[in-house]
Amino acid sequence: MPVKQLLSRNCGKIDPRNIDDFIKAKGFQSLEHARSTMSPEGVIEEVKKSGLKGRGGAGFPCGAKWELARKSKGPNKYLICNADEGEVGTFKDRYLIQNDPFSLIEGMAIAAYAIGAAKAFIYLRAEYHYLKGLLAGAITQSEQKGFLKGLDIEIREGAGAYICGEESALMNSIEGKRGEARYKPPFPPTSGLFNEPTIINNVETLANLPLILGKGAAWYQKLGTGQSKGTKLFCVSGDVARPGVYELELGSSLWELVDGQAGARDIKLVQVGGSTGRVFPADRLDTPLAYESVLGSGAVMVLDQSRDVVEFVHRTMKFLNEESCGQCAPCREGTEVMVEILGRLDAGQGVPGDLRTLEYLSQAMMLTALCGLGQAAPLPVLDTLEHFRSEYENRIGQAVFIRSLKALGA
Amino acid sequence: MSATKAVINGTEIKVKAGTTILEAARQAGFEVPTLCHHPELTPSGNCRMCVVEVEGSPRLVASCHTPLAQGMVIQTHSDKVLAARKAVVELLLTAHTGPCVNDSRASACELHKLAAELEVGPPRFQVQAPRFYPVENDSPYVRRDMSRCILCRRCVRACREVAKKGILSMAYRGFQSKVVFEADDPLNSEQCKDCGVCIEFCPTSALSKPVEEVA
Amino acid sequence: MVKKQKAKARDALLGMIKEQQDSQGHVSREAMEHLARSFSLPLGEVYGVATFYTFLSTKSQGRHVIRVCQSMPCHLKDSGQVVDWISQELCLEPGQTTPDGRFTLEVTNCIGACDQAPAMLIDDVVYGGLDPQKVAQILRSMD
Ligand SMILES: Cc1cc2nc3c(=O)[nH]c(=O)nc-3n(C[C@H](O)[C@H](O)[C@H](O)COP(=O)(O)O)c2cc1C
Ligand code: SF4
Ligand code: FES
Repeated sequence: MPVKQLLSRNCGKIDPRNIDDFIKAKGFQSLEHARSTMSPEGVIEEVKKSGLKGRGGAGFPCGAKWELARKSKGPNKYLICNADEGEVGTFKDRYLIQNDPFSLIEGMAIAAYAIGAAKAFIYLRAEYHYLKGLLAGAITQSEQKGFLKGLDIEIREGAGAYICGEESALMNSIEGKRGEARYKPPFPPTSGLFNEPTIINNVETLANLPLILGKGAAWYQKLGTGQSKGTKLFCVSGDVARPGVYELELGSSLWELVDGQAGARDIKLVQVGGSTGRVFPADRLDTPLAYESVLGSGAVMVLDQSRDVVEFVHRTMKFLNEESCGQCAPCREGTEVMVEILGRLDAGQGVPGDLRTLEYLSQAMMLTALCGLGQAAPLPVLDTLEHFRSEYENRIGQAVFIRSLKALGA
Repeated sequence: MSATKAVINGTEIKVKAGTTILEAARQAGFEVPTLCHHPELTPSGNCRMCVVEVEGSPRLVASCHTPLAQGMVIQTHSDKVLAARKAVVELLLTAHTGPCVNDSRASACELHKLAAELEVGPPRFQVQAPRFYPVENDSPYVRRDMSRCILCRRCVRACREVAKKGILSMAYRGFQSKVVFEADDPLNSEQCKDCGVCIEFCPTSALSKPVEEVA
Repeated sequence: MVKKQKAKARDALLGMIKEQQDSQGHVSREAMEHLARSFSLPLGEVYGVATFYTFLSTKSQGRHVIRVCQSMPCHLKDSGQVVDWISQELCLEPGQTTPDGRFTLEVTNCIGACDQAPAMLIDDVVYGGLDPQKVAQILRSMD
């Protein structure tokens, strides 16, 4: 069975407002074990051995990143938990915080111990303001029980900007600035928040740590595939009978998730990884969910046969255009041009050459944009042009036809 | 000071550690075009004009802010690079409103010069609503025609770093981004004096000296 | 050391702008001028931050801000209709505020409630699985 209850072991079973419940469920034992029997380097070694990679989208090996920060010189090092979760169709971090906030706090304490940080931030998106009280309560209770010795965890809230999930924009936002991405290098483990060595990890990445240190890297790395260890929370939305969060072993097939678990019927396409994610047509659902093939944030959105591919891509590009920070030219101007072309195609008013222009522009944006948003923005366009090209071609010079179809409500 | 060795366009070079790819290329005699970059200002990396190909990197790398690393193998003028730069110029021209052809101020526009150099043809990209702002002639020192602005932020940095004033800032987001004074107000002569630094650093005709209107 | 403290001071700016937004319903020019003075920043810097984030508004907003999610997962569940129901109930279009100052209606991007689509946020509260009756009932229950 690919369905697991490891990360979600406490979800629905403990009272997220009561630390005693969590402690009864062996909470904080991994942290105590790490602090009393392992050196920080030993913790990093264990996490490296486990094969844990980032769950926020980029999939960078967690231990290797920590090692860089550990070795960086500087009196102040920071840990940041990325709870911005702005990627369209992603709600697993919300699920974890709502159901098991203490596992996150324990994971943060482990990470802070490993890299040598005395100060940590949780960057919580403005849309999740309703989780702030719960999180703050979990921090206070953990402090009172003495689990956070030498670590101060502060919640900082966003103010409505998807780009602030990108780590360098997030740091600018914590610094009280506009959430614009920074160019790299320098990378955060050498110079991040306030120009000090900084580690930024996703909520789910951090929530994996108590498991890894509790049961050992040897146990953990038996789960999953060659390059993808452990389990992952997937957020299924769209045309399915049972939308929600599913925990699956990495390497499970997309089909198992959307059909077997979520009950999708009559699938036209599935987008994996949110607005800049990859698009799979119905005949490609045997794809394994893993870093080797496709993963991203864990957002999985299903569109059934009644849906319009061009409208879907148009809407997705509008999102990216609205959320572009506007700093770099390829993303600021490129997403605007794409919205224009896709809007024209959506209305059936495409002109010959539009598809070639989309491809040419996609290439340039992927090669030159400053951050991940602009670099990945063309992916849904290119994927759908590959798998659903005729739907685009049908939109060139079809305005009258499309208008009457839309008027009929078809 | 340790030295960094690399290969640019087939030529082996050795530069001081910490040198950017752009500086190294220029030292070796290869001209890489830039727009937002200015040697007297801190790098910003927003225009992406200066991209180069670095072997092993799936994406192009902006040379103005990326330090040269040991053993890098770099191409500054490969077909891939030239095509990308051309697309960037085309994109910047898209939102850069106004007929520059018959504007004497525009003759010095660095963007149009680059367009000519890269042989950018008729515009491939269009947007129905480019950024348009009325010309501001309120200040006795600076005429602002923000429709011509390409958001390179040279004025913002120059006002802060060279003029030591810092009265210009970035506001709004995305395609609507704009260089503003205070709360997007007209420049006032109380704060903006006649130093003219921003005009000097502006690569386009967005900022210029006010001229007496010809009757 | 002195330099560092200055940098740290700046990091409180976004939070203080948010406080203004929450207590006053918007970030006024006076508030921005005050913040600029207390942070020793040019007004443009404060204005730049205030206009970057969508949960901040330099124009006055209603007592309750309704944000209907328009992203793909909610769109697939007819979030466009949710906007219509609210528009009808309150006689206002997205971007507008009711004349009595009770509500501002906005459309927003993914609020992370896709499993309850179509969903909306009113102030800090998520309402999911919306239908016309539910929307009407929620709106009427608010002061
Ligand atoms: C446009 C953009 C948005 C992002 N949004 C998020 C986000 O909401 N949450 C998140 O954890 N990571 C997000 N990321 C990835 C982060 O930059 C970063 O890689 C991640 O937080 C690192 O943590 P991890 O290694 O634990 O995954 C985003 C990246 C980009 C380019
Ligand atoms: S006004 Fe000129 S210098 Fe300033 S950002 Fe615009 S183009 Fe650059
Ligand atoms: S000159 Fe390097 S990004 Fe603009």
